Amino acid sequence: MASSTLSLPDLDRDLDLDIASTPDRPWQTVVWNDPVNLMSYVVHVFQEYFGFSRAKAERLMLAVHHEGHAVVAEGPREQMELHAQAMHDYGLWATIRKAPE
Amino acid sequence: MTPDRTVVLELTRLEALHLAGLMRQFDELLDSTEQAADDPAVARLVPDAYEEDPDAAREFRAVTEGDLLSRRRSDAAAVIESLRPAIDDPHLLEGEEGDLVDEAGDLTDTVTIALDPDTVNAWLRALAAIRLVLASRLGIQSEDDHDDEDPRFGVYDWLGYRLDGLVRAVSGD
Repeated sequence: MASSTLSLPDLDRDLDLDIASTPDRPWQTVVWNDPVNLMSYVVHVFQEYFGFSRAKAERLMLAVHHEGHAVVAEGPREQMELHAQAMHDYGLWATIRKAPE
Repeated sequence: MTPDRTVVLELTRLEALHLAGLMRQFDELLDSTEQAADDPAVARLVPDAYEEDPDAAREFRAVTEGDLLSRRRSDAAAVIESLRPAIDDPHLLEGEEGDLVDEAGDLTDTVTIALDPDTVNAWLRALAAIRLVLASRLGIQSEDDHDDEDPRFGVYDWLGYRLDGLVRAVSGD
C-alpha cells in the first residue's frame, strides 16, 4: 500500500509533515462479495439500514458483486464499527479500514 | 425500505415443518458451539472486521460476538413461533430421523402465515444466516458451486427461494 516515495529517505521530513497535516483521514466500512448472500437481499439491507435509494443500493450491490467489495460508509471509526456490526447482523461480510490515501 | 405492513406468506405444511426443524438445528448448533472460532460455519456469522489488524479484529469480535449470536437465536425462535399455527397439528407426528408421518394426508396443504414487520425482519436474517451456515458445510466458495445430486443443495436453494420471495414482498416488487 505504501507509495514509492515512502522509501526515499530524503523525503522523510516532508512525509511527516504530510501525515501531520491530514490527521483525520476518515475510516470506511467496506462490504465484501460472498457467494451466498442474494443480490436482492443485499439491496434490501443497503436500503433498509443506510436508507439509500433503490438506485444507490443497487449500484453499491453491483459494485460489491463485480469488483469484490464496495465502500458503503465513511466517517469516524466508532461509527464505522457500528455499521460493520450491523452488516454482520444481517449476515453480510463487512470490514473497517482507514480510507486509502 | 422498512416494512411497514404485514407480509402474508403461503407455504405448505411440509415446508413449515422442515423450516422449523432447520431453525431448531441451527439453535442447537449455536448451543453446542462454545466459541464461534471452533466452527467455521458459526465463525462466518461473526467475521473479521479488520483485515490487516488481527488485534483489532479480536477486540471487535469480543465486543460484538455475544450480541450477534444471541440475535441469531432470537431470530430462529421468532421464526419457529410464527410457524407454530402451521406445525401444531395433532395429525402430524415426527418419526425417526425427522421423517414425517402424516396421518391426515395434508402435508401438501398450503397454510397462510401473517408476519408483522419485526417478524419479517427476523425471518430475513434467519434465512440469510442459515444459508451461510449451510454454504459453509457444503463448501460453497463460488456461486457456481452446486451439486444437483446432493439433496442439501436442494434445501439451500429452497431457502434462497423463500428469502428472495420475502425480500420482494417487503420491497413491494
